[in-house]
Amino acid sequence: MSTPSRLAGHAGAVRKGASGRKTVTFGDASEVKGSPLWSVASLLFVAFVWWWIKSGTEPMINDRTFPSMRQTWDAFFELATDGYRRVSLWDHTWASLWRVLKGLVYGVIVGVPVGFAMGLSNRLRGIFDPIVELLRPVPPLALLPLFIVWFGIGEGSKVNLLFFAAVWIMVIAARAGVLGVRGSKVHAAYSLGANKWQILRYVILPNALPDIFTGMRVALGVCWGTLVAAELTGTTTGLGAMIFAASKFFRMDVVVVSIIVIGVIGVAMDLVMRFLERRLIPWRGKG
Amino acid sequence: MVYELPKGGSVQALHDVSFELEAGRLLTLLGPSGCGKTTLLNIIAGFLAPTSGSVTLGGDPIRGPGQERGMVFQQGALFEWQSVAQNVAFGPRMNRKKRSETNELVQDLLATVGLQGFGDKAVYELSGGMQQRVALARCLANDPEIILMDEPLGALDALTREKMQSLILKLWQETGKTIVLVTHSVEEALYLGDRLFVMAPRPGRVEREYELPFAAKGLHVDPREMKASPEFIEKREELLSLIWEMEEQIMGHDGGVS
Repeated sequence: MSTPSRLAGHAGAVRKGASGRKTVTFGDASEVKGSPLWSVASLLFVAFVWWWIKSGTEPMINDRTFPSMRQTWDAFFELATDGYRRVSLWDHTWASLWRVLKGLVYGVIVGVPVGFAMGLSNRLRGIFDPIVELLRPVPPLALLPLFIVWFGIGEGSKVNLLFFAAVWIMVIAARAGVLGVRGSKVHAAYSLGANKWQILRYVILPNALPDIFTGMRVALGVCWGTLVAAELTGTTTGLGAMIFAASKFFRMDVVVVSIIVIGVIGVAMDLVMRFLERRLIPWRGKG
Repeated sequence: MVYELPKGGSVQALHDVSFELEAGRLLTLLGPSGCGKTTLLNIIAGFLAPTSGSVTLGGDPIRGPGQERGMVFQQGALFEWQSVAQNVAFGPRMNRKKRSETNELVQDLLATVGLQGFGDKAVYELSGGMQQRVALARCLANDPEIILMDEPLGALDALTREKMQSLILKLWQETGKTIVLVTHSVEEALYLGDRLFVMAPRPGRVEREYELPFAAKGLHVDPREMKASPEFIEKREELLSLIWEMEEQIMGHDGGVS
Protein backbone atom coordinates (compact mmCIF):
# COMPACT_ATOMS: atom_id res chain seq x y z
CA MET A 1 0.00 0.00 0.00
CA SER A 2 1.24 3.42 -0.89
CA THR A 3 1.00 6.31 1.50
CA PRO A 4 -0.96 9.34 0.30
CA SER A 5 1.44 11.84 -1.24
CA ARG A 6 1.65 15.34 0.06
CA LEU A 7 1.18 18.10 -2.50
CA ALA A 8 3.08 21.27 -1.86
CA GLY A 9 3.72 24.17 -4.17
CA HIS A 10 5.15 27.58 -4.77
CA ALA A 11 4.27 28.83 -8.24
CA GLY A 12 4.30 31.85 -10.47
CA ALA A 13 3.10 31.82 -14.06
CA VAL A 14 3.40 34.25 -16.90
CA ARG A 15 1.13 33.88 -19.85
CA LYS A 16 3.02 34.31 -23.11
CA GLY A 17 0.74 34.24 -26.11
CA ALA A 18 -1.16 31.14 -27.01
CA SER A 19 1.59 28.63 -26.48
CA GLY A 20 2.84 29.93 -23.12
CA ARG A 21 4.45 27.05 -21.34
CA LYS A 22 2.10 24.21 -22.09
CA THR A 23 3.52 20.77 -21.47
CA VAL A 24 0.89 19.00 -23.52
CA THR A 25 1.14 20.00 -27.18
CA PHE A 26 0.77 16.73 -29.07
CA GLY A 27 -2.94 16.49 -29.91
CA ASP A 28 -3.62 20.11 -28.97
CA ALA A 29 -4.84 21.53 -32.27
CA SER A 30 -4.34 25.12 -31.11
CA GLU A 31 -0.62 24.41 -30.90
CA VAL A 32 -0.31 23.28 -34.52
CA LYS A 33 0.06 26.42 -36.64
CA GLY A 34 2.66 25.28 -39.12
CA SER A 35 6.23 26.49 -39.35
CA PRO A 36 7.31 29.00 -42.03
CA LEU A 37 10.90 27.84 -41.70
CA TRP A 38 9.97 24.29 -42.65
CA SER A 39 7.77 25.57 -45.48
CA VAL A 40 10.72 27.41 -46.97
CA ALA A 41 12.89 24.33 -46.49
CA SER A 42 10.27 22.23 -48.24
CA LEU A 43 10.23 24.57 -51.27
CA LEU A 44 14.02 24.63 -51.36
CA PHE A 45 14.04 20.83 -51.35
CA VAL A 46 11.69 20.71 -54.33
CA ALA A 47 13.93 23.20 -56.14
CA PHE A 48 16.95 21.09 -55.29
CA VAL A 49 15.36 17.92 -56.69
CA TRP A 50 14.45 19.83 -59.84
CA TRP A 51 18.02 21.10 -60.22
CA TRP A 52 19.47 17.65 -59.44
CA ILE A 53 17.48 15.72 -62.06
CA LYS A 54 18.63 18.21 -64.68
CA SER A 55 22.25 18.56 -63.55
CA GLY A 56 25.40 17.35 -65.28
CA THR A 57 26.19 17.01 -68.95
CA GLU A 58 23.89 13.99 -69.29
CA PRO A 59 20.94 14.82 -67.07
CA MET A 60 18.63 12.08 -65.81
CA ILE A 61 15.69 13.61 -67.64
CA ASN A 62 15.96 15.18 -71.08
CA ASP A 63 14.53 18.52 -72.16
CA ARG A 64 11.72 16.97 -74.18
CA THR A 65 10.33 15.38 -71.01
CA PHE A 66 10.89 18.13 -68.47
CA PRO A 67 12.58 21.53 -68.75
CA SER A 68 15.31 22.78 -66.47
CA MET A 69 14.71 25.63 -64.06
CA ARG A 70 16.74 27.90 -66.28
CA GLN A 71 14.67 27.03 -69.38
CA THR A 72 11.48 27.50 -67.40
CA TRP A 73 12.57 30.91 -66.21
CA ASP A 74 13.53 31.92 -69.75
CA ALA A 75 10.20 30.68 -71.03
CA PHE A 76 8.43 32.66 -68.33
CA PHE A 77 10.37 35.76 -69.27
CA GLU A 78 9.62 35.24 -72.93
CA LEU A 79 5.92 34.65 -72.26
CA ALA A 80 5.68 37.66 -70.00
CA THR A 81 7.26 39.99 -72.53
CA ASP A 82 6.53 38.64 -76.02
CA GLY A 83 3.72 36.29 -75.19
CA TYR A 84 2.96 32.92 -76.68
CA ARG A 85 1.72 32.95 -80.25
CA ARG A 86 1.42 36.70 -80.00
CA VAL A 87 -0.89 36.59 -76.98
CA SER A 88 0.85 37.67 -73.80
CA LEU A 89 0.88 35.53 -70.69
CA TRP A 90 -1.19 38.18 -68.92
CA ASP A 91 -3.87 38.06 -71.61
CA HIS A 92 -4.00 34.28 -71.34
CA THR A 93 -4.24 34.52 -67.57
CA TRP A 94 -6.83 37.23 -67.70
CA ALA A 95 -8.92 35.28 -70.23
CA SER A 96 -8.97 32.33 -67.86
CA LEU A 97 -9.71 34.41 -64.77
CA TRP A 98 -12.51 36.28 -66.49
CA ARG A 99 -14.23 33.01 -67.50
CA VAL A 100 -13.95 31.66 -63.98
CA LEU A 101 -15.35 34.84 -62.45
CA LYS A 102 -18.29 34.88 -64.87
CA GLY A 103 -19.06 31.22 -64.20
CA LEU A 104 -18.84 31.79 -60.45
CA VAL A 105 -21.03 34.90 -60.47
CA TYR A 106 -23.73 33.17 -62.50
CA GLY A 107 -23.47 30.17 -60.20
CA VAL A 108 -23.99 32.39 -57.15
CA ILE A 109 -26.86 34.33 -58.75
CA VAL A 110 -28.76 31.12 -59.55
CA GLY A 111 -27.50 28.82 -56.81
CA VAL A 112 -28.16 30.97 -53.75
CA PRO A 113 -31.87 31.61 -54.41
CA VAL A 114 -32.40 27.93 -55.27
CA GLY A 115 -30.59 26.87 -52.10
CA PHE A 116 -32.67 29.32 -50.05
CA ALA A 117 -35.87 28.02 -51.61
CA MET A 118 -34.83 24.48 -50.76
CA GLY A 119 -34.15 25.45 -47.18
CA LEU A 120 -37.41 27.34 -46.73
CA SER A 121 -40.17 25.40 -48.47
CA ASN A 122 -41.12 21.73 -48.43
CA ARG A 123 -42.56 21.93 -51.91
CA LEU A 124 -39.54 23.62 -53.46
CA ARG A 125 -37.23 21.23 -51.60
CA GLY A 126 -39.19 18.38 -53.14
CA ILE A 127 -39.03 19.87 -56.61
CA PHE A 128 -35.32 20.68 -56.62
CA ASP A 129 -33.97 17.76 -54.59
CA PRO A 130 -33.91 15.12 -57.36
CA ILE A 131 -32.49 17.56 -59.90
CA VAL A 132 -29.75 18.76 -57.61
CA GLU A 133 -28.85 15.32 -56.33
CA LEU A 134 -28.72 13.83 -59.84
CA LEU A 135 -26.69 16.57 -61.48
CA ARG A 136 -24.38 17.41 -58.58
CA PRO A 137 -22.14 14.34 -58.91
CA VAL A 138 -21.79 14.69 -62.71
CA PRO A 139 -18.28 15.91 -63.59
CA PRO A 140 -18.76 19.14 -65.55
CA LEU A 141 -16.47 17.96 -68.36
CA ALA A 142 -18.89 15.13 -69.12
CA LEU A 143 -21.27 17.82 -70.31
CA LEU A 144 -18.78 19.57 -72.56
CA PRO A 145 -19.97 17.84 -75.78
CA LEU A 146 -23.56 18.87 -75.06
CA PHE A 147 -22.58 22.38 -74.13
CA ILE A 148 -20.51 22.80 -77.29
CA VAL A 149 -23.54 21.81 -79.36
CA TRP A 150 -25.86 24.08 -77.40
CA PHE A 151 -23.72 27.14 -76.76
CA GLY A 152 -21.12 26.95 -79.51
CA ILE A 153 -17.49 26.04 -79.28
CA GLY A 154 -16.38 29.48 -78.03
CA GLU A 155 -16.98 31.41 -74.82
CA GLY A 156 -20.57 30.29 -74.34
CA SER A 157 -19.85 26.64 -73.70
CA LYS A 158 -16.94 27.43 -71.40
CA VAL A 159 -18.72 29.90 -69.16
CA ASN A 160 -21.76 27.64 -69.01
CA LEU A 161 -19.58 24.73 -68.05
CA LEU A 162 -18.08 26.75 -65.22
CA PHE A 163 -21.54 27.87 -64.20
CA PHE A 164 -22.51 24.20 -64.04
CA ALA A 165 -19.47 23.46 -61.89
CA ALA A 166 -20.30 26.29 -59.47
CA VAL A 167 -24.06 26.22 -59.22
CA TRP A 168 -24.55 22.96 -57.30
CA ILE A 169 -21.90 23.89 -54.79
CA MET A 170 -23.68 27.20 -54.22
CA VAL A 171 -27.07 25.50 -53.91
CA ILE A 172 -25.78 23.14 -51.24
CA ALA A 173 -23.94 25.92 -49.42
CA ALA A 174 -26.93 28.27 -49.38
CA ARG A 175 -29.24 25.49 -48.25
CA ALA A 176 -26.84 24.59 -45.43
CA GLY A 177 -26.75 28.26 -44.45
CA VAL A 178 -30.52 28.44 -44.19
CA LEU A 179 -30.80 25.17 -42.29
CA GLY A 180 -28.13 26.38 -39.89
CA VAL A 181 -30.23 29.27 -38.59
CA ARG A 182 -30.95 28.85 -34.93
CA GLY A 183 -34.66 28.63 -34.22
CA SER A 184 -34.34 31.06 -31.35
CA LYS A 185 -32.99 33.78 -33.65
CA VAL A 186 -35.97 33.46 -35.96
CA HIS A 187 -38.32 33.36 -32.99
CA ALA A 188 -36.68 36.42 -31.48
CA ALA A 189 -37.07 38.31 -34.75
CA TYR A 190 -40.76 37.41 -35.03
CA SER A 191 -41.30 38.53 -31.44
CA LEU A 192 -39.67 41.83 -32.32
CA GLY A 193 -42.25 42.40 -35.01
CA ALA A 194 -40.42 41.24 -38.14
CA ASN A 195 -42.48 39.92 -41.05
CA LYS A 196 -41.45 37.01 -43.29
CA TRP A 197 -39.62 39.20 -45.76
CA GLN A 198 -37.73 40.94 -42.97
CA ILE A 199 -36.83 37.58 -41.42
CA LEU A 200 -35.38 36.52 -44.76
CA ARG A 201 -33.50 39.77 -45.32
CA TYR A 202 -32.27 40.56 -41.82
CA VAL A 203 -31.94 37.14 -40.16
CA ILE A 204 -31.66 34.26 -42.61
CA LEU A 205 -29.48 35.98 -45.22
CA PRO A 206 -26.80 37.34 -42.86
CA ASN A 207 -26.87 34.08 -40.94
CA ALA A 208 -26.24 32.13 -44.16
CA LEU A 209 -23.46 34.43 -45.43
CA PRO A 210 -20.60 32.49 -43.85
CA ASP A 211 -21.79 29.27 -45.51
CA ILE A 212 -22.34 31.05 -48.82
CA PHE A 213 -18.82 32.41 -48.62
CA THR A 214 -17.38 28.97 -47.93
CA GLY A 215 -19.34 27.73 -50.94
CA MET A 216 -17.84 30.48 -53.09
CA ARG A 217 -14.35 29.54 -51.99
CA VAL A 218 -14.91 25.89 -52.84
CA ALA A 219 -16.65 26.76 -56.13
CA LEU A 220 -13.84 29.07 -57.14
CA GLY A 221 -11.32 26.27 -56.65
CA VAL A 222 -13.43 23.75 -58.54
CA CYS A 223 -14.06 26.21 -61.41
CA TRP A 224 -10.38 26.98 -61.68
CA GLY A 225 -9.62 23.29 -61.93
CA THR A 226 -12.37 22.65 -64.47
CA LEU A 227 -11.42 25.63 -66.57
CA VAL A 228 -8.04 24.44 -67.76
CA ALA A 229 -9.63 21.27 -69.05
CA ALA A 230 -12.43 23.25 -70.68
CA GLU A 231 -9.94 25.44 -72.51
CA LEU A 232 -8.31 22.48 -74.22
CA THR A 233 -10.65 22.92 -77.16
CA GLY A 234 -12.25 25.73 -79.05
CA THR A 235 -10.17 28.66 -77.91
CA THR A 236 -6.74 30.16 -78.43
CA THR A 237 -6.73 32.17 -75.23
CA GLY A 238 -6.49 31.00 -71.65
CA LEU A 239 -3.89 29.06 -69.71
CA GLY A 240 -5.44 25.72 -70.68
CA ALA A 241 -5.31 26.63 -74.37
CA MET A 242 -1.70 27.68 -73.93
CA ILE A 243 -0.82 24.31 -72.40
CA PHE A 244 -2.57 22.45 -75.16
CA ALA A 245 -0.94 24.46 -77.95
CA ALA A 246 2.51 24.21 -76.38
CA SER A 247 2.24 20.44 -75.93
CA LYS A 248 1.77 20.00 -79.65
CA PHE A 249 5.20 21.51 -80.20
CA PHE A 250 6.80 19.78 -77.21
CA ARG A 251 7.29 23.15 -75.54
CA MET A 252 7.42 21.58 -72.09
CA ASP A 253 8.92 24.78 -70.70
CA VAL A 254 5.75 26.65 -71.65
CA VAL A 255 3.63 23.84 -70.20
CA VAL A 256 5.49 24.00 -66.89
CA VAL A 257 5.22 27.80 -66.72
CA SER A 258 1.47 27.50 -67.26
CA ILE A 259 1.16 24.90 -64.55
CA ILE A 260 3.05 27.09 -62.08
CA VAL A 261 0.95 30.13 -62.98
CA ILE A 262 -2.24 28.09 -62.56
CA GLY A 263 -1.10 26.92 -59.13
CA VAL A 264 0.03 30.36 -57.96
CA ILE A 265 -3.21 31.98 -59.09
CA GLY A 266 -5.22 29.25 -57.35
CA VAL A 267 -3.41 30.01 -54.11
CA ALA A 268 -3.76 33.76 -54.64
CA MET A 269 -7.51 33.48 -55.22
CA ASP A 270 -7.92 31.52 -52.03
CA LEU A 271 -5.91 34.10 -50.09
CA VAL A 272 -8.05 36.89 -51.51
CA MET A 273 -11.21 35.02 -50.55
CA ARG A 274 -9.92 34.46 -47.03
CA PHE A 275 -9.03 38.12 -46.73
CA LEU A 276 -12.50 39.15 -47.95
CA GLU A 277 -14.07 36.69 -45.56
CA ARG A 278 -12.27 38.20 -42.58
CA ARG A 279 -13.27 41.68 -43.69
CA LEU A 280 -16.85 41.03 -44.72
CA ILE A 281 -17.99 38.41 -42.22
CA PRO A 282 -16.01 38.89 -39.03
CA TRP A 283 -18.81 37.23 -37.07
CA ARG A 284 -18.22 33.81 -38.65
CA GLY A 285 -18.40 31.10 -36.03
CA LYS A 286 -19.19 33.57 -33.27
CA GLY A 287 -22.94 32.91 -33.00
CA MET B 1 -54.96 39.63 -18.53
CA VAL B 2 -56.36 36.18 -18.86
CA TYR B 3 -54.72 32.90 -19.70
CA GLU B 4 -56.42 29.59 -20.03
CA LEU B 5 -54.18 26.86 -21.21
CA PRO B 6 -55.60 23.39 -21.32
CA LYS B 7 -53.62 21.26 -23.71
CA GLY B 8 -53.80 17.64 -24.67
CA GLY B 9 -52.05 15.51 -27.26
CA SER B 10 -50.42 12.17 -27.87
CA VAL B 11 -47.55 13.21 -25.66
CA GLN B 12 -49.13 15.36 -23.04
CA ALA B 13 -46.59 18.09 -22.75
CA LEU B 14 -49.15 20.08 -20.82
CA HIS B 15 -52.38 18.91 -19.27
CA ASP B 16 -55.16 21.17 -18.09
CA VAL B 17 -53.00 24.14 -17.23
CA SER B 18 -55.16 27.14 -16.59
CA PHE B 19 -54.39 30.36 -14.84
CA GLU B 20 -54.80 34.08 -14.91
CA LEU B 21 -52.02 36.54 -14.48
CA GLU B 22 -52.71 40.15 -13.58
CA ALA B 23 -50.76 42.86 -15.36
CA GLY B 24 -47.52 43.85 -13.68
CA ARG B 25 -46.85 40.52 -11.97
CA LEU B 26 -43.65 38.56 -12.23
CA LEU B 27 -44.44 34.87 -12.57
CA THR B 28 -41.67 32.31 -12.35
CA LEU B 29 -42.10 28.80 -13.69
CA LEU B 30 -40.02 26.17 -11.93
CA GLY B 31 -39.86 22.43 -12.40
CA PRO B 32 -37.76 19.46 -13.43
CA SER B 33 -36.93 19.00 -17.10
CA GLY B 34 -39.81 17.73 -19.17
CA CYS B 35 -42.49 19.43 -17.07
CA GLY B 36 -43.54 21.60 -20.00
CA LYS B 37 -42.49 24.99 -18.66
CA THR B 38 -40.82 25.95 -21.92
CA THR B 39 -43.78 24.54 -23.86
CA LEU B 40 -46.07 26.77 -21.85
CA LEU B 41 -43.86 29.78 -22.51
CA ASN B 42 -43.74 28.99 -26.24
CA ILE B 43 -47.52 28.80 -26.35
CA ILE B 44 -47.80 32.20 -24.71
CA ALA B 45 -45.17 33.55 -27.10
CA GLY B 46 -47.18 32.16 -30.01
CA PHE B 47 -44.48 29.86 -31.37
CA LEU B 48 -46.67 26.83 -30.59
CA ALA B 49 -50.41 26.51 -30.89
CA PRO B 50 -52.10 24.63 -28.05
CA THR B 51 -53.79 21.42 -29.22
CA SER B 52 -56.76 22.38 -27.10
CA GLY B 53 -57.72 25.48 -25.19
CA SER B 54 -56.64 29.02 -25.83
CA VAL B 55 -54.47 31.79 -24.50
CA THR B 56 -55.58 35.37 -24.40
CA LEU B 57 -53.74 38.58 -23.65
CA GLY B 58 -56.04 41.37 -22.52
CA GLY B 59 -58.98 39.42 -23.94
CA ASP B 60 -57.46 38.93 -27.40
CA PRO B 61 -56.57 35.38 -28.36
CA ILE B 62 -52.93 34.69 -29.18
CA ARG B 63 -52.51 33.23 -32.67
CA GLY B 64 -48.82 33.69 -33.34
CA PRO B 65 -45.78 35.62 -32.24
CA GLY B 66 -46.29 39.33 -31.75
CA GLN B 67 -44.34 42.26 -30.50
CA GLU B 68 -46.62 42.92 -27.56
CA ARG B 69 -45.01 39.77 -26.15
CA GLY B 70 -41.25 40.24 -25.96
CA MET B 71 -38.97 37.26 -25.63
CA VAL B 72 -35.59 36.76 -23.98
CA PHE B 73 -33.83 33.48 -24.70
CA GLN B 74 -31.12 31.68 -22.80
CA GLN B 75 -28.40 32.62 -25.27
CA GLY B 76 -27.52 32.66 -28.93
CA ALA B 77 -30.59 34.61 -29.97
CA LEU B 78 -28.73 37.86 -30.54
CA PHE B 79 -27.79 38.71 -34.12
CA GLU B 80 -24.03 38.34 -34.17
CA TRP B 81 -23.73 40.12 -37.53
CA GLN B 82 -25.01 43.32 -35.93
CA SER B 83 -23.48 45.63 -33.36
CA VAL B 84 -24.93 45.93 -29.88
CA ALA B 85 -26.84 49.08 -30.83
CA GLN B 86 -28.20 47.52 -34.04
CA ASN B 87 -29.44 44.55 -32.04
CA VAL B 88 -31.30 46.80 -29.63
CA ALA B 89 -32.67 48.83 -32.55
CA PHE B 90 -33.92 45.73 -34.38
CA GLY B 91 -37.56 45.95 -33.24
CA PRO B 92 -38.05 49.67 -33.96
CA ARG B 93 -36.28 49.21 -37.28
CA MET B 94 -38.61 46.40 -38.32
CA ASN B 95 -41.48 48.73 -37.46
CA ARG B 96 -39.91 51.48 -39.59
CA LYS B 97 -39.61 53.91 -36.70
CA LYS B 98 -37.69 57.12 -37.25
CA ARG B 99 -33.96 56.60 -37.05
CA SER B 100 -33.32 59.61 -34.78
CA GLU B 101 -35.94 58.52 -32.25
CA THR B 102 -34.64 54.98 -32.35
CA ASN B 103 -31.08 56.09 -31.72
CA GLU B 104 -32.15 58.02 -28.68
CA LEU B 105 -34.18 55.09 -27.39
CA VAL B 106 -31.26 52.74 -27.92
CA GLN B 107 -28.93 54.97 -25.92
CA ASP B 108 -31.47 55.17 -23.08
CA LEU B 109 -31.96 51.42 -23.02
CA LEU B 110 -28.25 50.69 -23.09
CA ALA B 111 -27.86 52.99 -20.09
CA THR B 112 -30.77 51.26 -18.34
CA VAL B 113 -29.13 47.85 -18.62
CA GLY B 114 -25.70 49.22 -17.73
CA LEU B 115 -24.12 49.08 -21.18
CA GLN B 116 -23.61 52.75 -22.00
CA GLY B 117 -20.71 53.13 -24.39
CA PHE B 118 -20.95 49.58 -25.69
CA GLY B 119 -23.26 50.35 -28.61
CA ASP B 120 -20.63 50.01 -31.31
CA LYS B 121 -19.16 46.77 -30.00
CA ALA B 122 -19.82 43.53 -31.79
CA VAL B 123 -22.11 41.24 -29.82
CA TYR B 124 -19.53 38.46 -29.72
CA GLU B 125 -17.02 40.75 -28.05
CA LEU B 126 -19.20 40.87 -24.93
CA SER B 127 -19.30 38.42 -22.04
CA GLY B 128 -22.30 36.15 -21.56
CA GLY B 129 -23.78 38.42 -18.89
CA MET B 130 -23.43 41.50 -21.05
CA GLN B 131 -25.01 39.67 -23.98
CA GLN B 132 -28.06 38.96 -21.86
CA ARG B 133 -28.20 42.65 -20.97
CA VAL B 134 -28.34 43.37 -24.71
CA ALA B 135 -31.12 40.80 -25.07
CA LEU B 136 -33.11 42.54 -22.31
CA ALA B 137 -32.60 45.95 -23.91
CA ARG B 138 -33.57 44.63 -27.33
CA CYS B 139 -36.76 43.21 -25.90
CA LEU B 140 -37.62 46.46 -24.08
CA ALA B 141 -37.08 48.53 -27.24
CA ASN B 142 -40.47 47.50 -28.57
CA ASP B 143 -42.15 48.37 -25.27
CA PRO B 144 -43.96 45.01 -25.01
CA GLU B 145 -46.86 44.47 -22.62
CA ILE B 146 -45.37 41.26 -21.35
CA ILE B 147 -41.85 39.85 -21.36
CA LEU B 148 -41.28 36.13 -21.64
CA MET B 149 -37.94 34.82 -20.45
CA ASP B 150 -36.77 31.30 -21.21
CA GLU B 151 -34.02 30.57 -18.69
CA PRO B 152 -32.45 33.94 -19.42
CA LEU B 153 -29.66 33.47 -16.91
CA GLY B 154 -29.18 29.73 -17.35
CA ALA B 155 -25.86 29.96 -19.16
CA LEU B 156 -24.23 32.46 -16.79
CA ASP B 157 -21.77 31.79 -14.02
CA ALA B 158 -23.08 32.02 -10.46
CA LEU B 159 -21.78 35.50 -9.65
CA THR B 160 -22.93 37.11 -12.89
CA ARG B 161 -26.24 35.39 -12.45
CA GLU B 162 -26.87 37.07 -9.09
CA LYS B 163 -26.09 40.48 -10.55
CA MET B 164 -28.43 39.83 -13.46
CA GLN B 165 -31.21 38.75 -11.11
CA SER B 166 -31.03 42.16 -9.48
CA LEU B 167 -31.15 43.79 -12.91
CA ILE B 168 -34.28 41.86 -13.84
CA LEU B 169 -35.93 42.91 -10.58
CA LYS B 170 -34.95 46.50 -11.18
CA LEU B 171 -36.34 46.48 -14.72
CA TRP B 172 -39.53 44.85 -13.53
CA GLN B 173 -40.10 47.44 -10.84
CA GLU B 174 -39.11 50.40 -12.98
CA THR B 175 -41.09 49.46 -16.08
CA GLY B 176 -44.03 47.73 -14.40
CA LYS B 177 -44.04 45.09 -17.14
CA THR B 178 -45.61 41.70 -16.72
CA ILE B 179 -42.91 39.06 -16.79
CA VAL B 180 -43.06 35.27 -17.10
CA LEU B 181 -39.70 33.69 -16.39
CA VAL B 182 -38.76 30.03 -16.75
CA THR B 183 -35.91 28.82 -14.60
CA HIS B 184 -34.21 25.68 -13.32
CA SER B 185 -32.92 27.42 -10.24
CA VAL B 186 -35.03 27.19 -7.09
CA GLU B 187 -33.31 30.21 -5.60
CA GLU B 188 -33.91 32.29 -8.72
CA ALA B 189 -37.56 31.31 -8.92
CA LEU B 190 -38.05 32.31 -5.29
CA TYR B 191 -36.08 35.51 -5.44
CA LEU B 192 -37.58 36.86 -8.65
CA GLY B 193 -41.11 35.50 -8.63
CA ASP B 194 -43.83 37.40 -6.87
CA ARG B 195 -45.83 34.47 -8.13
CA LEU B 196 -44.35 31.03 -8.58
CA PHE B 197 -45.67 27.89 -10.26
CA VAL B 198 -43.97 24.63 -9.46
CA MET B 199 -44.64 22.42 -12.47
CA ALA B 200 -44.61 18.63 -12.58
CA PRO B 201 -44.00 16.31 -15.52
CA ARG B 202 -45.96 13.51 -17.23
CA PRO B 203 -48.26 15.13 -17.98
CA GLY B 204 -46.91 18.65 -17.61
CA ARG B 205 -49.04 20.48 -15.08
CA VAL B 206 -48.95 23.11 -12.36
CA GLU B 207 -48.31 21.16 -9.18
CA ARG B 208 -48.30 24.01 -6.69
CA GLU B 209 -48.66 27.79 -6.68
CA TYR B 210 -47.03 30.31 -4.39
CA GLU B 211 -47.47 34.02 -3.70
CA LEU B 212 -44.09 35.29 -2.60
CA PRO B 213 -42.92 38.44 -0.80
CA PHE B 214 -39.26 38.40 -1.83
CA ALA B 215 -39.41 40.10 -5.23
CA ALA B 216 -41.27 43.09 -3.85
CA LYS B 217 -38.66 43.59 -1.13
CA GLY B 218 -35.86 42.71 -3.50
CA LEU B 219 -34.61 46.16 -4.31
CA HIS B 220 -34.55 47.50 -0.78
CA VAL B 221 -32.89 44.55 0.88
CA ASP B 222 -29.45 43.25 0.04
CA PRO B 223 -29.94 40.14 -2.10
CA ARG B 224 -27.39 38.09 -0.14
CA GLU B 225 -29.14 38.98 3.10
CA MET B 226 -32.51 38.16 1.65
CA LYS B 227 -31.37 34.79 0.40
CA ALA B 228 -29.90 34.03 3.83
CA SER B 229 -33.08 35.00 5.70
CA PRO B 230 -34.95 32.23 7.56
CA GLU B 231 -38.17 32.67 5.51
CA PHE B 232 -36.27 32.38 2.27
CA ILE B 233 -34.36 29.31 3.39
CA GLU B 234 -37.52 27.66 4.64
CA LYS B 235 -39.27 28.14 1.29
CA ARG B 236 -36.18 27.03 -0.57
CA GLU B 237 -35.98 23.77 1.35
CA GLU B 238 -39.70 23.18 0.85
CA LEU B 239 -39.38 23.62 -2.91
CA LEU B 240 -36.21 21.57 -3.12
CA SER B 241 -37.79 18.59 -1.40
CA LEU B 242 -40.88 18.93 -3.59
CA ILE B 243 -38.79 18.86 -6.76
CA TRP B 244 -36.50 16.19 -5.38
CA GLU B 245 -39.54 13.98 -4.86
CA MET B 246 -40.63 14.52 -8.43
CA GLU B 247 -37.18 13.64 -9.73
CA GLU B 248 -37.23 10.45 -7.67
CA GLN B 249 -40.56 9.48 -9.16
CA ILE B 250 -39.29 10.13 -12.68
CA MET B 251 -36.11 8.15 -12.18
CA GLY B 252 -37.81 5.28 -10.34
CA HIS B 253 -36.70 4.43 -6.85
CA ASP B 254 -33.65 2.46 -7.86
CA GLY B 255 -32.52 4.80 -10.62
CA GLY B 256 -32.18 7.94 -8.57
CA VAL B 257 -29.34 7.69 -6.13
CA SER B 258 -26.83 4.91 -6.35
